[in-house]
Amino acid sequence: MSASPRPGAAPAVPELAPGAPLLEVRGLTTWFPIRAGVLQRPVAWVRAVDGVDLDVPAGRTVALVGESGCGKTTVGRSILRLVEPRAGSVRFAGHDLLALPLRALRALRRQIQIVFQDPLAALDPRFRIGEAVAEGMEAHGVGADAAEREERAAALLRRVGLDPSLLARYPHELSGGQRQRVCIARALAPGPRLLICDESVSALDVSIQAQILNLLRDLQEELGLAYLFISHDLGVVRHLADRVAVMYLGRIVEEGPAERVLGEPRHPYTRALLDAVPSLDPDRRRIADRVPLAGDVPSPVNPPAGCRFSTRCPIAVERCRREEPELAGDDHRARCFFADGPAGPA
Amino acid sequence: MSTLAAPRAEEPLVEVEGLVTTFPAGAGRRVAVVDGVDLAIGRGEVLALVGESGCGKSLTALSIVRLVPRPGRVEAGRVRLAGQVLDGRNPELWRRVRGGAIGMVFQEPMTSLNPVLTVGAQVAEVVRLHERVSRAEARRRARSLFEQVGIPDPAARLDAYPHQLSGGLKQRAMIAMALAARPALLIADEPTTALDVTVQAQILELLRRLGRELGMAVLLITHDLGVVNELADRVAVMYAGRVVEQGTRREILATPRHPYTEALLRALPARAPRGARLAEIPGAVPPPEAWPAGCRFADRCPRRFAPCEAAPDWTRLSATHAVRCHAVAGGRA
Repeated sequence: MSASPRPGAAPAVPELAPGAPLLEVRGLTTWFPIRAGVLQRPVAWVRAVDGVDLDVPAGRTVALVGESGCGKTTVGRSILRLVEPRAGSVRFAGHDLLALPLRALRALRRQIQIVFQDPLAALDPRFRIGEAVAEGMEAHGVGADAAEREERAAALLRRVGLDPSLLARYPHELSGGQRQRVCIARALAPGPRLLICDESVSALDVSIQAQILNLLRDLQEELGLAYLFISHDLGVVRHLADRVAVMYLGRIVEEGPAERVLGEPRHPYTRALLDAVPSLDPDRRRIADRVPLAGDVPSPVNPPAGCRFSTRCPIAVERCRREEPELAGDDHRARCFFADGPAGPA
Repeated sequence: MSTLAAPRAEEPLVEVEGLVTTFPAGAGRRVAVVDGVDLAIGRGEVLALVGESGCGKSLTALSIVRLVPRPGRVEAGRVRLAGQVLDGRNPELWRRVRGGAIGMVFQEPMTSLNPVLTVGAQVAEVVRLHERVSRAEARRRARSLFEQVGIPDPAARLDAYPHQLSGGLKQRAMIAMALAARPALLIADEPTTALDVTVQAQILELLRRLGRELGMAVLLITHDLGVVNELADRVAVMYAGRVVEQGTRREILATPRHPYTEALLRALPARAPRGARLAEIPGAVPPPEAWPAGCRFADRCPRRFAPCEAAPDWTRLSATHAVRCHAVAGGRA
């Protein structure tokens, strides 16, 4: 540990230049038990996250993409210890969040906030907007008193493009886009460095989505925020991510600069994913011309032996079913024996 | 007046004219949430009805098959299917039409599949509801439908319960059920919205192939313009209860003319340069009780001018492309 804070003392978080390591996840492993019988003993494990390495630099956007069940949401929750990982480390500005005592963790937790997909589920219907935004501040000891917190809440609402008069309203009185802005204001209240956006724009209509994406971009510029952007939407990811990590069955299969991962994918799963995205170019339909990836994602309870994608992979060979490739490469890494081109049967 | 003649020599397989559905808006008033919608779909053609939430696209589909939930009410509208006019007032007829001449596929398969019956039994039941065949024959038909929609190992899958199938297979089973009575019109309401992108691609490919092979008319309801581009032949764009623009897929996606369609396409992150600010449409779709009397997009429209106080009529731009906008009609856009 680089720092051993007194219990309860806020661990020191230095100012970081944009691009400096802020979040460093190593070997993150989170399994969920499947329990059965009278004793409710675990009979099997859902290997939701199974040895994930991931870096989020200060002030940058890293997108974590993949299909449902790949474990991307569990990565976000494990970082915040909303679920307890069983192994690995999560270093935030040098402090290992998984090793910190709970009180020190709480002090660091104000630096990392999360914005979920469904703002209506994230906001308590009985709380006014003002209370929802101020709640986060109180929990993290921001603002001297209620009056100061309310003033700050009004400023935050203006900051996210809402009229402060909405502070007195209830969530159901707001539109979906307004509610997501409130969730962003609430996440900003404790003054975070890192925002985990878990499908934060996925449920929004395209015109509202554009407003929220622009807002996230402005906030990053002004506040130097880093984003871990968890999403299945590659169109959105292409638009805003600096780096992209692709997950499949609990593992990162490809990671690198956004334009390289999305422009020259090295892993066959990433290629299949990109091929499956509906085209918006009227001169070029995608799905008509090509057989889409067959089948469904296998169960994370019994992931396939060898490469986890081998059961659906169009270029898999015998070796892929026995041996799992490493995530290999320099700045653009892929977990595939044939990542460097059609050396194999492709 | 507002009906667009189809550009084909033959009669369209499906025609919907003057569809109006109202909901109570307080103080004894009712507001037309579907307000005079006309649609025509040819044999083997896919018409996409697109718009954002609350625009009335799903309600249009439910109105066509007279399944509008209370307190909604279909006030007017003629549906002509393969030359036959369906009478709006005969509930018995509509029960036969639904799942018969009109098949339906929804976003969430579990809303249509019975969890306590095997999927094979459910498909066979639909076959027997619409045709006099033996149980064994119905089961054979169910099996061949499963084959047709690309369910692997169809014989074994007939005996599966819905929860034993993946999301993609459930959606395929629902499509098989919708096809069981050989419909003339297939209504697919956000059929791939709940699916992962690789499975979505499989289902889109399937719907495209089935529409062609079976010569059905397909009404695709979606908010996703990528899905529209992949699947649709023609597109109708809906805003606040009205169709505001319609044309071929290319006309709508490459040369949109209604300010709302243009704004919608500009707001797509996948079409914008990386990292650039996205074009925003100010505000949000207002709730029906707050819809403006004239052009309903006027409050959010950059081209608004005095005539927009009145509802615009259709302006024809080509044999297939038409738009409801005063600015376009007046040569201002």
